[in-house]
Amino acid sequence: MGRTTERRTRGRGVAALAVVVPLLLTGVAACGSDSGGGGGDVTITFVWWGSDGRANLTKKAVELFQRKNPKIKVQTSFSAYAAYWEKLATQTAGGKPPDVLNVDSRYLAEYGGRNVLADLNSGAGKAISLADVNPELAATGVYQGKRYAVPWAQNTPAMIYDAAAFMAAGADPAKGMTWDQFADAARKAGAAGTARGVTDFGILDTTLEIWLRQQGKQFYTPEGKLGFTGDDLRRYWELAGKFRDTKAASPADVTASYNTSPEQAPLGKKLTSSEFAYDNLLPAYQKANGKPLNVAPYPSGADGDTGQYRRPSMFLSVSARSQQQEAAAKLVDFLVNDPEVGKIVGTDRGLAPNLKVRAQLAATATGNDKTLYDYEAALEPKLGAAPPVPPKGAGAIQKLLQRTYEEVAFGRMSVDDAVNRFMTEAQKGLS
Amino acid sequence: MTTLRTPDPPVAPPASATRVRRRDRPVGRRRKSQPEAFAFLTPWLLGAVALTVGPMVVSLYLSFTDYDLFTSPKWVGFGNFAHMFGGDDRYLQSVKVTLIYVLVSVPLKLAVSLLVAMLLNTRRSANGFYRAAFYAPSLLGASVAAALVWRALFMGGGPVNELLAFFGWHTPSWVDDPQFSLASIVLLGVWQFGAPMVIFLAGLKQIPAELHEAAAIDGAGAFRRFRHITLPMLSPVIFFNLVMEAIHAFQAFTPAFVIGGGRGGPADADLFYTLYLFEVGFQDFRMGYASAMAWVLLVVIAIVTAIVFRTAKLWVFYDDAEDKK
Amino acid sequence: MIALPRTARSFGWHVLCLVIVAVVLYPLVWLAFASVKPPDEILSRLALLPTRFVFDGYTKGWEGAADVGFGRFFLNSFLVAGLSVAANVLSCSLAAFAFARLKFRFRGALFAFMITTLMLPYHVTLIPQYVIFQQAGLVNTFVPLILPKLLATEAFFVFLIVQFMRGIPRELDEAAIIDGCSVYRTFWHVVLPLSKPALVTTSIFTFIWTWNDFFTQMVYLNDTEKFTVPLGLRLFVDTSSESNFGAMFAMSALALVPIVLFFLAFQRLLVEGVSTSGLKG
Repeated sequence: MGRTTERRTRGRGVAALAVVVPLLLTGVAACGSDSGGGGGDVTITFVWWGSDGRANLTKKAVELFQRKNPKIKVQTSFSAYAAYWEKLATQTAGGKPPDVLNVDSRYLAEYGGRNVLADLNSGAGKAISLADVNPELAATGVYQGKRYAVPWAQNTPAMIYDAAAFMAAGADPAKGMTWDQFADAARKAGAAGTARGVTDFGILDTTLEIWLRQQGKQFYTPEGKLGFTGDDLRRYWELAGKFRDTKAASPADVTASYNTSPEQAPLGKKLTSSEFAYDNLLPAYQKANGKPLNVAPYPSGADGDTGQYRRPSMFLSVSARSQQQEAAAKLVDFLVNDPEVGKIVGTDRGLAPNLKVRAQLAATATGNDKTLYDYEAALEPKLGAAPPVPPKGAGAIQKLLQRTYEEVAFGRMSVDDAVNRFMTEAQKGLS
Repeated sequence: MTTLRTPDPPVAPPASATRVRRRDRPVGRRRKSQPEAFAFLTPWLLGAVALTVGPMVVSLYLSFTDYDLFTSPKWVGFGNFAHMFGGDDRYLQSVKVTLIYVLVSVPLKLAVSLLVAMLLNTRRSANGFYRAAFYAPSLLGASVAAALVWRALFMGGGPVNELLAFFGWHTPSWVDDPQFSLASIVLLGVWQFGAPMVIFLAGLKQIPAELHEAAAIDGAGAFRRFRHITLPMLSPVIFFNLVMEAIHAFQAFTPAFVIGGGRGGPADADLFYTLYLFEVGFQDFRMGYASAMAWVLLVVIAIVTAIVFRTAKLWVFYDDAEDKK
Repeated sequence: MIALPRTARSFGWHVLCLVIVAVVLYPLVWLAFASVKPPDEILSRLALLPTRFVFDGYTKGWEGAADVGFGRFFLNSFLVAGLSVAANVLSCSLAAFAFARLKFRFRGALFAFMITTLMLPYHVTLIPQYVIFQQAGLVNTFVPLILPKLLATEAFFVFLIVQFMRGIPRELDEAAIIDGCSVYRTFWHVVLPLSKPALVTTSIFTFIWTWNDFFTQMVYLNDTEKFTVPLGLRLFVDTSSESNFGAMFAMSALALVPIVLFFLAFQRLLVEGVSTSGLKG
């Protein structure tokens, strides 16, 4: 009966074990070889967000640092933007954030204000030189009088577009255009092909910010409150609505699939012919889309002001709880100021913050890099200073804007209701 | 999946006699096994104290606080719970989404898995192949790979769009449209009907053929036999599957996370409870609120399970009479 | 129905089963073919078969992300899943034996508690658990992924083995005890061997769940070198420098291969266990 069968088949359990045990042994061996390397006296961790292309560049820069500082070993790690913040939060919760980390302006107050980041104006951070960094750029990264971060690159909010599609629509965005002209061109570009003219920008906090700046307003006040009224937001969404209604902008389901990674954004997926993003992302969009893309200033109001500004594209910070603040500060200084690092990382994150390094690189740039340097050089005199550091909760507001606008785009909510919801939740989130 | 079968099935006990108490009697009549028992329990007890009860107590405490992970917790009494049910629209949305998911996907999945299990409960050739094939999707479980495939299938211009368009139904990108997005996740859940199916199959095989044969001789039709023999005899397995699937459905995370783009999908259509909890805790740094949410979820799951267990006495028949002697 | 000849009914049954197979396996077959399609065909064509076979996805995907090859992710996943299986089978069967067979104080209460933890959303314990492992310096190692298994925190498996052990005729272990066997020997030599089908089930599920687990591994593992397959997959998908669907699906397909092999290998054991001891007994 059953019992005897069970006994007879017992041998197979042993067989199963025989499968598992060598598996474990090989695994363990793999682990052993891993921990054997190194030999530095000090080990620091360094994390950032971005693509694997960016990771390869950054790792090369880190290797260079390790060669020049043989006593410091740097462990690196990276994730995509959203995953990056998820992980950083758990690490921080456990009391051990990485020693050196990339911070986005939307999260600077969140982490800085909670004493997770070291004040680089004192202690080990003094070793970081900002002498050659563009002064307006260097002024960023300061929140409530403390320097929680230094800018690692400079970029500018910009429009990336399919040159041929807009040419065919009789427009040249690179020369600058008003919103009305842009709406017309985007509608024509969308009608001509399978891709709509522009990715619906009603969801984008950066575009809202630029649009507000064009009218002399701001997204956040220096006190950390909303710098605009419900009426402003309503007008912005009505502008976006005009694009949507004329089929100049992407349909709602395409808009909802928007992702900050160029590879997965509508323009990268060839679903639209233009998208508001940052100028340093041109190569990534280019690669994903396949067609020749170009970068243009934002459409402007009637007075021609594009509202763009010199944006610290990625901050470098040191953990306040790091046991190796000196080594960490050394790495930050190296990444910001070393000319060879500038050469290695190129324009992946934007222009080099160190103006001497930037000048060297600009002189020898080719291809997309050259497009970027030329673009920024032409724009430079018009660029404003970066807005003050956004308050705690800015990361959540970015998502709130996207969510509430989607309700409008899908026709599930009127603009007025969506505006009310946004304003209520935003004010709650910022208090 | 032999989870609920007994190695030596009883020879067709009359159905009335199989209804017994669930609790079986411990053997320790002759000797006290207490010290040994705790030796056996040591690993589990250690885990229960250090990794379950301890953390639970901490998170229960946190649920009455404002805790942002960085500064020490601030006591707010029932503030978190009050906010949940008065003023947090997204919380209510997440409750709605989760309830729809549980109420639609669990019965659908159980019905499909029982029907297919009955279909496979024969001795025809290739039976094993079919069973393995139907089981295959369950292997993927809540994996990232499965969710990625699903997302691609239901994406704008993907195979599902194309197929439906072929039949004249033009749908938007399922995963990106609030009306369709949740449906695609429900379908992903139902697609993985293999696990409960295999368990049903093992249960069906325990039903002595003589019962069906005797009933058939008495003139009972297929439906009557299903209603009066299969269902009662299978009730412990149905019970087990129902509890497990409901608990899983309440806690579903990865499919919604991957398919909804990590943010709750278009206009929050895929904002599962666990997803919102994760977002509140790990993206907005409101761990106190997240802990309160986790505790509400725990209580709800406990209540639902308690109801299922209570009512189980009315409809579940256990077949371990030989334990009772 | 009865009027139909046996062969016709059998034929109809096979047709029905094959239709279900087609529907159920379509996504997997689609994935397999998508992984060898030219990138521009993957989403744009409904046809399963590619116009030409392209294996770039596999070669490109295998290179992994950020200097870490996919082979490394596989090795890590095997290590974690393998250790988890061993730890889970051992610890859960120990606890299950106590619940199913032994008498001790608070047995009912502890069992009820165990069932409660079955329903526990892991979010309830996540942050405090994380702090414990962090304090012990174990974050970014595999320990937080395996230690909970060694301490039988996965109540589902304890429950499963308890249910099974309850079905084992009590005469057997009582006889062993009367013969002078200690409880430990009874467990090891009588109950455990008889519980093999449940242990195999536990192993299979532990392996698959661990292999698929995404959340815990994402929380605890930081270095790319320590990443497991699901993390590698997500990293790869989120951060690959071009919209490289071919490589993404190639690696997704590859990620599923070990599970399928593992299942197929143990499927025979399962079938044998069910059919010989269960049905004909």
